[in-house]
Amino acid sequence: MTPSAATTAVPERATTRAATAGLPAWATLGILFGLVSAASIVLWGPIGVSGTYPRFVGAVLRLFDPAYAASNPYLVKMGALFKPETFLVVGLVIGGFLAARTDKRTRVPEVERVHAMETSDAARHRDAFIGGLLIVFGARLAGGCTSGHIISGITQLSLSGIVFGAAVFASGIFTAKLIRKGA
Amino acid sequence: MPALYALLVGIAMGALLQRVRASSPRMILANLRLENLSIIKFMATTIAVGMILVYLLDAAAPQLLHFDIKPTYLIGVALGGVIFGVGFALGGYCPGTCVVGASEGRRDARYAILGGVVGALLFTLLYTVLLEPVMRLLDLGKVRLQDYVHLPAIAVALIVAGALLTMVRLLPTTRGTPR
Repeated sequence: MTPSAATTAVPERATTRAATAGLPAWATLGILFGLVSAASIVLWGPIGVSGTYPRFVGAVLRLFDPAYAASNPYLVKMGALFKPETFLVVGLVIGGFLAARTDKRTRVPEVERVHAMETSDAARHRDAFIGGLLIVFGARLAGGCTSGHIISGITQLSLSGIVFGAAVFASGIFTAKLIRKGA
Repeated sequence: MPALYALLVGIAMGALLQRVRASSPRMILANLRLENLSIIKFMATTIAVGMILVYLLDAAAPQLLHFDIKPTYLIGVALGGVIFGVGFALGGYCPGTCVVGASEGRRDARYAILGGVVGALLFTLLYTVLLEPVMRLLDLGKVRLQDYVHLPAIAVALIVAGALLTMVRLLPTTRGTPR
């Protein structure tokens, strides 16, 4: 993906400039992701992730309580797990794994504590769990997440993507600053 | 075939998110605290490049594109975004980056995925009674910016992409460093 040769002398930061283009790494990766997101719209449709969570829940509920699953209008609306989006999520696992394995410069930590209140790994796990719950609940209420609304939505000039993106960053920046001040 | 294409797109997306460090909660929090804007600038670049490409293609060969516009039900979309933002700042993950994080060996990312499944279950259970009514409020339908201005879509795309790239160019990535 990124040119890894000849960058060893450069500090390990995300702002590191890629050796070839003279662009910062985030810019090169952003241009590549823009190509991928446009290619996706040409090949099958815009990228999206969060819908796979309720489709997975639906698949499990269909195993244990098919009558309830058939009567829940949301599960019916979201449909079966066999959708392109599900394969996209499988791809995320493969791509993330390969990219981490082939990056010799940075080691991925098992746990990164991000808030002062995370005084143990258990506290970090708790925050990740509650955070995970809120992002998927919020994304399903809005009808999409960072990929479906913000990346794909705004790329297509959709008003919903712009409204969602503004709400996410306003709320996210406010919450991050609030936690930092010691809530 | 769409399944294979989606798999390949997912592999590329997973690798790109990993390399830009979007799957690092510490990096996400640095962005939300406005100390390091690299992920925000990465996203804006992605959007601008994708926008220019799809709307150039749309002007030349619209039959090639699989656009899929989500409805703008203002209250639900904005409220969902606010809830999402709180979870984003607390956990440092979004629904895709926690999958990438788990695949690169982050233990907390597995808890984020578990939380996401519980969130989806809660949403499913509350949908009929609480959420569907909210999702009907102020529904503008599947609207795009070009539906509101009397300009061709490609012109709107170039203006918005230009504004995003200008923002990317002007904002410093980290405190005290140019670009």
